[in-house]
Amino acid sequence: MSAGATPAPLLALDDLSIHYGRVQALEHVSLDVRAGEVVTLIGANGAGKSTTLRSISRIVPIHRGRIAFDGRDISGVRPSDAVRMGIAQVPEGRRMLARQSVLDNLLLGAYTRSDSAGIQADVERQFVRFPRLAERRRQLAGTLSGGEQQMLAIARALMSRPRLLLLDEPSLGLAPLIVRGIFDIIRELHAAGVTILLVEQNASLALQIADRAYVLEAGRLTISGHAAELLTDERVRRAYLG
Amino acid sequence: MSSSLLLQQVLNGLAIGSVYAIFALGYTLIFSILRIINFTHGAIFTLGAYATYALTGARFGFNGLLANAALPLHLPFVLALIGGALFAAVSGVIVERLAFRPLRTRGSDPLLTLVSSLGVAVALVNVIQYLFGAEAYSYPADPFGQLPSAMNFGTSTEPVLVRTVQVIIFGVSMVVLALLTVLMNATRTGKALRAVAEDTVTASLLGINTDRLILLTFVISGFLGGVSGTLIGLSVGIAGPYFGIAFGLKGLAVIVLGGLGDIPGAVVGGLLIGLAESFVPAQYIAYREAVPFALLFVVLLLRPQGLLGRAVVQKV
Repeated sequence: MSAGATPAPLLALDDLSIHYGRVQALEHVSLDVRAGEVVTLIGANGAGKSTTLRSISRIVPIHRGRIAFDGRDISGVRPSDAVRMGIAQVPEGRRMLARQSVLDNLLLGAYTRSDSAGIQADVERQFVRFPRLAERRRQLAGTLSGGEQQMLAIARALMSRPRLLLLDEPSLGLAPLIVRGIFDIIRELHAAGVTILLVEQNASLALQIADRAYVLEAGRLTISGHAAELLTDERVRRAYLG
Repeated sequence: MSSSLLLQQVLNGLAIGSVYAIFALGYTLIFSILRIINFTHGAIFTLGAYATYALTGARFGFNGLLANAALPLHLPFVLALIGGALFAAVSGVIVERLAFRPLRTRGSDPLLTLVSSLGVAVALVNVIQYLFGAEAYSYPADPFGQLPSAMNFGTSTEPVLVRTVQVIIFGVSMVVLALLTVLMNATRTGKALRAVAEDTVTASLLGINTDRLILLTFVISGFLGGVSGTLIGLSVGIAGPYFGIAFGLKGLAVIVLGGLGDIPGAVVGGLLIGLAESFVPAQYIAYREAVPFALLFVVLLLRPQGLLGRAVVQKV
């Protein structure tokens, strides 16, 4: 990492602590994501990876520390304002609006926007990126397969034209072939300049795609560095790559 | 039963049932989003009826704090109805701010919110009694000008007479229902409301300001409560401050019958209960109030999730 000349990060967590009741979920977590990067957060189940993303989307309260997005402190904003500022999340388990159509799910993804022509164009763009969704645009989202739901969740998040995309376990519960397709899409988004913070249990896949990585253990960051280095790090290999 | 009498009962049942439906939708909308029964709904129904009464320029009785008071205006009934409903909608906003939001932001148990809404309902009813006394009121005669008091839906040889008021009630309810259907299904706001109802967290992640939409839900719910209060007042008079409590219980029967939180279910449940009540023979009229609950009992034996409700699926 070159010192000095690095631009201000797009996202910076500074000494973040979060607890649910008396259970400490995150302790003194500091990390940053620079524009255009793919950064991954790996760790075991329950290490606090999802909590980190939920705190950035402002749906869990923060007890200590701050979150800065594009230089502005967002620790106190509403979840809807976080989206408005450019943070979109693809939540764990995809969380479709199962009783609304594929098209309505996409349109709700653009809820913070009011440029109807631009929204329409973006819907078409998502249908080009995900032809399966185009075929099923009138179908209720709840009737899609797991892989299709994951595509819709990503497309829906992109509809807000985010500057930062938070992906929570995109491979969860999907067949290997589908997972490969999803990761190809993440790679394309990276190439198109989208900044991504990726949470993944499948550490080897995540490290292959990411620029940098952080390892979270029981609510604390233990290892961080270039993804390629972590792939060969003995501790990471033993604990997460098997 | 002759066919003309049958038709008459059906028309009467549909009229009253359509009010049950829009009233019950007020419960349903809030339940679908917060998973809480809003016990203030019956009190807001009463408030709407009283507000309409006041807006027509009619005078209050001699018992309350505002004895013999009257507003210095005489709105035509239609405007008074809308005004009364708007007043009820504003009351809904106040109820949300006072009884619901403080508990929600603290993440309290929904049961506490339920009790809180029950408390506000009791307080509201008592305020009404304190201000306007306990007497019954009825709206000015012929509120719609020179319409005949009954309309004939049959032929001149075999008349099917239905009170004009019932026809108007049915018409107003249908207009309200149509507006609500368009709002919920064809507008961005309606889709956002449905998103909040389905999954509040996901809705927030899409940039929907859930607090604002919850407030809007209380506005709509209050409006529906106010309109139904006025319509029932029009049909049978305002029976006093407790007028909305019994009606509120009937509304609960409607939403449980149709399926909790389900919009079409509330409409079907309301119409069904209205029809069932209108078929109670005249000599058993004293049992009419028991009909909704008997119907509810039977339906729940056969379909515990209500007529149109979804069976609860455990999320994995």
